[in-house]
Amino acid sequence: MRVEAAARLQLVALACALLAGCALLRPAPAWERPPPPVAEGPVVPQERLHRTTLANGLELLVLEDHALPRLEVGLLLRRGAEIEPLEQAGAVALMADVMERGAGERDALALARAVEEIGADLAVGADMDSVSVELSGLSGDAGLLFDLLADVALRPRFDAREVARARAETQAALLREKDDPGALLSRHLAATLYEGHRYGLPVDGSPDTVARLDAATLRALHERLFVARNAIAYVVGDIDVQDAVAHVQARFGGWAAGEPPEPGPPPPAQTPPARRVVVVDRPDMGQARLALAHEGIARTDERRVAAGLMNTILGGGGFLSRLMSRVRADEGLAYGVGSGFAMRRHPGPFVISTSTRAPEAGRVVDILLEEAERLRREGPGQDELRNARSLSAGRFVLGLETSAAIAGALVELDVYGLPRDALDTYRTRLNDVEPEEVLEAARTLLHPERMAIVAVGSAEVLRPQLERFGPLEVVKP
Amino acid sequence: MPTSAGRALAAFLLLAACAALPVRAAVDDPALRTRVTTLDNGLTLLTLPDPTTPAVAFQMWVRVGSRDEARYTGLAHLFEHMMFRGTKRLPPESHERLIESRGGRVNAYTTHDYTVYHADVAPDALPLVIELEAERLAHLAIDEATLASERQVVLEERRLRTEDQPTGRVFEALLSLTFMAHPYRVPVIGWRSDIERVSVEECRRFFATYYAPNNIVIAITGAFDEEDAIARVRRALGRLERVEPIPRNPTREPPQRGERRATVYFDVRSPILAMTWHAPPSGHPDGEALDVASLVLSGGRSSRLYRELVYEAQQALAAEGGYWELADAGVFYAYAMVRPDGDVDRVERLFQREIDRLREVPVPEAELAKAKRQIEVGLLRGTATAHALAARIARDWVTFGRIRPIEERLAAYRAVTAADVQRVARQYLRDEKRNVIRLVAPPPGVSLEELDAPAAGAPRAEPR
Repeated sequence: MRVEAAARLQLVALACALLAGCALLRPAPAWERPPPPVAEGPVVPQERLHRTTLANGLELLVLEDHALPRLEVGLLLRRGAEIEPLEQAGAVALMADVMERGAGERDALALARAVEEIGADLAVGADMDSVSVELSGLSGDAGLLFDLLADVALRPRFDAREVARARAETQAALLREKDDPGALLSRHLAATLYEGHRYGLPVDGSPDTVARLDAATLRALHERLFVARNAIAYVVGDIDVQDAVAHVQARFGGWAAGEPPEPGPPPPAQTPPARRVVVVDRPDMGQARLALAHEGIARTDERRVAAGLMNTILGGGGFLSRLMSRVRADEGLAYGVGSGFAMRRHPGPFVISTSTRAPEAGRVVDILLEEAERLRREGPGQDELRNARSLSAGRFVLGLETSAAIAGALVELDVYGLPRDALDTYRTRLNDVEPEEVLEAARTLLHPERMAIVAVGSAEVLRPQLERFGPLEVVKP
Repeated sequence: MPTSAGRALAAFLLLAACAALPVRAAVDDPALRTRVTTLDNGLTLLTLPDPTTPAVAFQMWVRVGSRDEARYTGLAHLFEHMMFRGTKRLPPESHERLIESRGGRVNAYTTHDYTVYHADVAPDALPLVIELEAERLAHLAIDEATLASERQVVLEERRLRTEDQPTGRVFEALLSLTFMAHPYRVPVIGWRSDIERVSVEECRRFFATYYAPNNIVIAITGAFDEEDAIARVRRALGRLERVEPIPRNPTREPPQRGERRATVYFDVRSPILAMTWHAPPSGHPDGEALDVASLVLSGGRSSRLYRELVYEAQQALAAEGGYWELADAGVFYAYAMVRPDGDVDRVERLFQREIDRLREVPVPEAELAKAKRQIEVGLLRGTATAHALAARIARDWVTFGRIRPIEERLAAYRAVTAADVQRVARQYLRDEKRNVIRLVAPPPGVSLEELDAPAAGAPRAEPR
């Protein structure tokens, strides 16, 4: 049937072609036209955005959006798990967890009820560089949402009983991670690259370090982190700016200014110093989960846009990327493969990761290393760079579709002290990257010869394939 | 599919009933502005422009899912992958590369009931997306080489998400325990043996049977010119020829007489306990009461399962219950990630106590109101992006043949009473119709490798 339809189309085309000039009416398929150049220009709706600073130094960002009767109110603190000593790893994450378990006059159950009765969500989250407290709900409940935000942020209870429960839950969850191949891979990768540094353990810490944490530790940590000069408040949604400012002023105007804690120390500039292979033995697995990694760059690194484009070309750019083309499309070796920089205050890792049937692990590692080496040697083609720019710009714009996403991206800039107009200038900066800069980024930031290789899977199957890459160590989950 | 007339009547009655409730500001539901265009060949096009967003969402919903597979399980999903492997004019992966090279996001997914292809792009790339969709519908190329490599990709996906993953194993076991007869018992990704054996001919036949314009609904939302888009879809897809309507499998699940239990061994420290009961299909008037029951059980830290299993007893890392609706049938499930130091028997008893309580004691008014409020806020969230809106209107159209206004849904939820929740709990969550799955570590002396080994002397490979 489809063949007939196509044949008829061709007849029409033929008939058309017989008429002079008719060919102009049948444009070439859209895919034959080259993609348009990356558009530049602002993406932040300045007319709906308001910024102010309270007397105590608290920054406030309000983004009005009256399309839906929704409201999000939050605080972002500009330091995270990086500030805790290694032996207390997991303290900031546990602090965040316990902050959801009672604040002000309300114990754990009363707080949960107050939030959930109005259909709201409360989330206190921690990562390496920041801590966030966010409430989202309906704009009709604005007053209560601000009250709850202030209670949770300024008056968490840290009841000993709740700390004990949260600690036991975290320990159980850390033990459960051993059931999850993906979590095992991240944990062992971090340990391989950053042993002895805070980055060597996940934000949640380890069962040993979490065991040492008590209410006094969490309270002290909260006092250091939660000061006005370490925070930016944001209000997004169906509210007028004057009301938003008044709500924040009333609840946070008296908050002590304080001093932001010192950031944590940087990790080693180069890690690993030489190739290492670590196999985490899970004899029952059919696949090998693989990560290849070494140090990357900081969030504020001047080369970040060029590095981002380089990564898009190598493994961050979906089906346009070289790794996906070879490993999945050409060879059918994996469902997915990707690469990326974990850009933190200090350089986090650059990681290439995939998973393949265990007997093919060695071949896949060869391909991954080869492609990293090839990008250092040859650099990007003209089309590749154009496509990478376009993909990066497109994903960036699609990622800012909602007001909540725009506000989130703006406060993230604030954590790192990046320019306030960084979103508006991003596409221009993408266009300004020269091909030589991408090649330079590949040459200075990719070091396939000393990448750590971490694999989760059957050691019996993996050892013979991976030992040729470097000194190999088999560890238990 | 459930009749939409019955559903509409129920909704009308519920609307009338809720007139007495406190007045709330009406929600401006953009989906009400959806324009429906039906092409001569039966293709349905839903358009809903919104110039305030930077994106256009394009979704093609095909009325075929794993439940329609005749001989090879996993065919619907494997075929979804093949839709990206080139046409007579375009080499494999062109579809996604062309869209990504214009800054778009593109992907697809397969469910038991339908297959969805979606792209989110900048407005100027919409013509490209429409032409690419038409190109693969008219000229898809499937050959041995691309099928062979894609088969391997899908087998990796199966290992990644199901075989090496405790939650994947539980889900797979749960479906086949719950459904004895209905093809919902088969995992969408299919069984390994079948994925290994699907042929080019099977793929072509599947394509010719199901990927016909009268089996397709396209939704476009976001920043685009409506007239222009409709004209382009008409031009690009209007010449595809319709096929005879395809009746879906007639199988209905027979009534369950008695509890079913199964155990799955896996290398875990943290066991998983899951229970299911049969529940009504999508669109059934009991759906709202079952959703409310879900929220009572697991809507946040004040919900019953969290309080009892995670918080008080400290036996589970997570516990939730929910109503999962499919076109022909529904499943009500309860699920707990048992702590490594927890006791599976005790978790099961605690689960049972909460189910008993739902049946025996009406949900107190405050708890009921809380659950309903949570649902209400959640419904509003579904209209925040072009992508979410497109999914909502297309799913409604494919499932109900109409778009359910948010106000109608809100009214149906507001009308749910404590007696309704108790009634549905009694009707559906019966002990005699319970299915229980436990995923635990194998007992000492039992090795998973041995369990997986083929029986001695049994031939492993069969001819294609």
